[in-house]
Amino acid sequence: MKLSVMEIQRFALHDGPGIRTTVFLQGCPLRCPWCANPESQAGGKKLMYLQKRCIGCGRCAAVCPSGCITTEDGRPIFNRSLCIGCGKCVEACPAGALRLSSRDMETSEILSVLLRDRSYYRNTGGGITVSGGEPFLQGRGLKELLALCKAEGLHTAVETTGNTPTENIQACEPLIDLFLFDVKHPDPVRFKEVTGGDHALVLHNLTLLPPQKVVLRVPVIPGFNFDEQVLGDLFRLALSYGIRRVDLLPYHTLGRGKYEQLGRAYPYDEAKPLSRKDLESAKAMGEALGLVMG
Amino acid sequence: MVKFDLDGVQNVEVSRKLPCEKTPAEQLEIMERYTATHRESLGLSREQRELNCLQVLYPTLLRKIEPDDLFAGRMDVLPIGFGCVTSLGGVGHFCVFNKLRAFQKELTDPADRVRVDALYDYWTQHDLKTLYCREQLTETTIGRFIDTEYPMIATARLSGMMLDYQKLLDLGIGGLRLEIETRLAQDPDNSFLRCCLGGLDLFVRCADAYIRMAQDQLSTAGESRRAELSRIIQSLSRITSDKPGTFHQALQLFWLYALLSGVINYGRLDDYLGPYLVHDLQTGELTQDQAFDLVKSLWTMIENRRTTVNGRIIVGGQGRKHPAEADEFVHIALKVAKSCRYVEPQFTLRFDSTTPEDIWDEAMDALGAGATYPTLYNDDVNVPAVAYGMRVDLETAKQYVPFGCTEFVIQGQSTGTPNICINLLKLLTIYMNSGIDPMDGKRKDAGVPIPVLDEIGTYEEFFAGYARLVDAYLDMAVDRQMASFRMMNEHVSFLMMSMLTDDCIARGRAILDGGVRYLGATNETYGNINTSDSLYAIKKLVFEDKRYTLSQIGEAMLANFQGYEELRKACLQCDKYGNDLDTCDTVANELYELVAKGTRERGIAAGMQYFLIVISNNQLNTEWGLRTGASPDGRLRGMYMNPANNPQGGANQNGPTAMLNSLRKFDPRYHAGSVQNIKFTPALFNENREMVKGLMKTYFADGGCHLMVTIVDKGELEDAMEHPENHQDLIVRVSGFSAVFVHLDRSIQEELLSRVLYGEESA
Repeated sequence: MKLSVMEIQRFALHDGPGIRTTVFLQGCPLRCPWCANPESQAGGKKLMYLQKRCIGCGRCAAVCPSGCITTEDGRPIFNRSLCIGCGKCVEACPAGALRLSSRDMETSEILSVLLRDRSYYRNTGGGITVSGGEPFLQGRGLKELLALCKAEGLHTAVETTGNTPTENIQACEPLIDLFLFDVKHPDPVRFKEVTGGDHALVLHNLTLLPPQKVVLRVPVIPGFNFDEQVLGDLFRLALSYGIRRVDLLPYHTLGRGKYEQLGRAYPYDEAKPLSRKDLESAKAMGEALGLVMG
Repeated sequence: MVKFDLDGVQNVEVSRKLPCEKTPAEQLEIMERYTATHRESLGLSREQRELNCLQVLYPTLLRKIEPDDLFAGRMDVLPIGFGCVTSLGGVGHFCVFNKLRAFQKELTDPADRVRVDALYDYWTQHDLKTLYCREQLTETTIGRFIDTEYPMIATARLSGMMLDYQKLLDLGIGGLRLEIETRLAQDPDNSFLRCCLGGLDLFVRCADAYIRMAQDQLSTAGESRRAELSRIIQSLSRITSDKPGTFHQALQLFWLYALLSGVINYGRLDDYLGPYLVHDLQTGELTQDQAFDLVKSLWTMIENRRTTVNGRIIVGGQGRKHPAEADEFVHIALKVAKSCRYVEPQFTLRFDSTTPEDIWDEAMDALGAGATYPTLYNDDVNVPAVAYGMRVDLETAKQYVPFGCTEFVIQGQSTGTPNICINLLKLLTIYMNSGIDPMDGKRKDAGVPIPVLDEIGTYEEFFAGYARLVDAYLDMAVDRQMASFRMMNEHVSFLMMSMLTDDCIARGRAILDGGVRYLGATNETYGNINTSDSLYAIKKLVFEDKRYTLSQIGEAMLANFQGYEELRKACLQCDKYGNDLDTCDTVANELYELVAKGTRERGIAAGMQYFLIVISNNQLNTEWGLRTGASPDGRLRGMYMNPANNPQGGANQNGPTAMLNSLRKFDPRYHAGSVQNIKFTPALFNENREMVKGLMKTYFADGGCHLMVTIVDKGELEDAMEHPENHQDLIVRVSGFSAVFVHLDRSIQEELLSRVLYGEESA
């Protein structure tokens, strides 16, 4: 069956051990304001517009069947609520200024890309990672893809928000060697308030996984969880679940350009990016608690 | 008679030569003496003429020993003289006319200028390369090196000779003399052998000249310098007859001989110098630091020769006689390469699956420091490929060495000079324009019937028509390569090189007179990937999708895609080589096999041991691109072409694994070197060292033959274009050579900038 794929990134070095290929799937239940892949939020293909490539020829508006695109001074104006994701404008644009955020791919087609780098995985202890968005939202297709990968003997990892139907996680669990499991905040209220997520569901899903297969991941965000007490609570939470390793991901603003392409304002303007150095004391704290920190 | 520009620049020359030590008056006098000697020797045998002329040059042109030199051997090259390569002077008895004119302009006395005119006139009738060009070039199809109006260029030269230094060190000058004398006793009339002995006498005179020079310097030297000079004197005294006993003596002998023979590539230094090094380290003759200083001094000597695209030193790999001792040399050399960061020597590491991890790590350290060295050659792939391609046994193949931009020769046993370059993309633009080059409107179809585009019914038919044009050029290529051998042999013997090339002494014949064991050559191909991406775009858009007709694409090309933006976008969107896509990579391989096998088969038929393509690159991909029309891969008229075996700049968007997978798809048995570049940011390379090593090792284990690695920061190249004064030490790999980035022409800089830089986004 088909999966809605945003991107397949080969030579991924930070989504699990070794050299990996990461498949980014469309769709996410959370609305984290710092999100670096905003096109993943909500299902369906999003139209992305690179203004600096646009030559103002108006061909996009001419071919749009849904009335989404009009022009003003030769430049396109998008009424995105009307977009049906048909891609006609993308095809017509001679300058490559338009693209769709995702495309539908058969699991077998994805597998054929993943297998291309098999010897790199083998020699470096790598494998494949499915990320998102939230990959378990496409649970059936994901399971099929993972089964294909396991049949080929590939090491499999999944990056998840944990905020996903339990049965989807359970169905896939035997096919997954490593969970890169996000827990972003220890406080259910704050978590809900900022991301819209269901903390109880996240933790419930976490209890069902064998802890030796889990790396807890924390995107460290100034103004949200970049705080000694908060991070300390998350580390203790990890330990209470028997999890040995926590990875801290420093906040970055590299997704900012995508908001522009989607015609959205960047919702998390106040914070400055963090460097690895900024996280050193937090890492030391985790290590003092007996965690392996990445 | 064909017209060509005598004063044209003959070779890539990015690094500026050191100014001549002699005054202009002295230089003029030497050139006149050389010219007179040549004229007076015209009635003599070529070897006697050569010897007489060499005696004019040496020891006269030896430069003084510099205060930091730890051994002796520097030389000036004048616009008139004797040589074997175009990177340093010229070929045979040569005159580099543009340099002679530049020299003339510096003279103040009009009478002196008239003297130069006389020299100029004489050499228009005697410069070997000029004689070759006059006989072999054509009006529209074959141009001189480097005239980018032509689809093919040809020259006479004997590039890339790697001499048998092992033999030199084993025998010493005295032993070599004895071997020649013994052979001469059986063949007393052999003038070649007799002149070889004259060449050895010349070597001794040069060594003596340096002894005197060092002795003169002793009086003004400080205490430590006196010790260094004394060592130079001792070593030179010994090697005039005896074989060397120490590392310093071995180095001195090898270097002075290489200098006098005019070669600019130095072979497997680790193997022939390693035993002397280890001996001296064990006996306490040398400390590690002193050994480092000596090797560094060699690096400086090589750098100072400034040949731009040569200066190869090869270490590591299979078939070494003294692997353990050689590895000692490798360790020191890797540290020197890291510390010097010179553009030359082109330091080359051969390795295989058994190469120790510490050598890998030291190589990664040097690369990570931005040295662009070592360049990496995989023996597990190359040795069997060379054995097949050059038709030699595996033991012989283990002595392959890359020279220049990457071309392989068998050290001490073969020639491999690339005297032909061919622009495959220009041929495609000519093929798609009724045989006429869109750049200048001239017919360049070489007499091949060119079909009308819209009468071509299938892709196979289209490709077959192109192949006929390529075949016609390959016929001319092999013919011109053989002609270059014939003409060089008519005029010169390359005495100094012949003595250390099998089987010249045994056969009593010079290299090109039937002396060399394996007469090989190479053919440089350019625009390979633009051509195959273009062929794929045509296959897809015209014959599979039927979206455009051939003539529509032809019209768009002639219009440089102006008014055909949508068509160009369709061309650009077709799959491109470098992304590990079977669609376009299969077409790339079909083209490769056409050209590579076609070249090889013709070479064998013409009587060569091998004639193989090299997919190398100096900066000709950019220069030739400037004079090549728009192409169906979406490339605009005048735009640079792809470098070596790499994708067109920016076309590879699937990451380094995908690019490397594309690179290794061609059967290495049909080429004699294929340059593979990869560029990383320091952050990616240095912070993920094990992963990058895993990446490279996997590529090699899966059949990758070679890699050239550049480590450069994002934005650094752009900033260097804006503020060159701040980036004087920024070294980049152009493809077949390294260069200081700010010394390159802007168009070359732009091409380098277009290449994908593998890095990671990080906060």
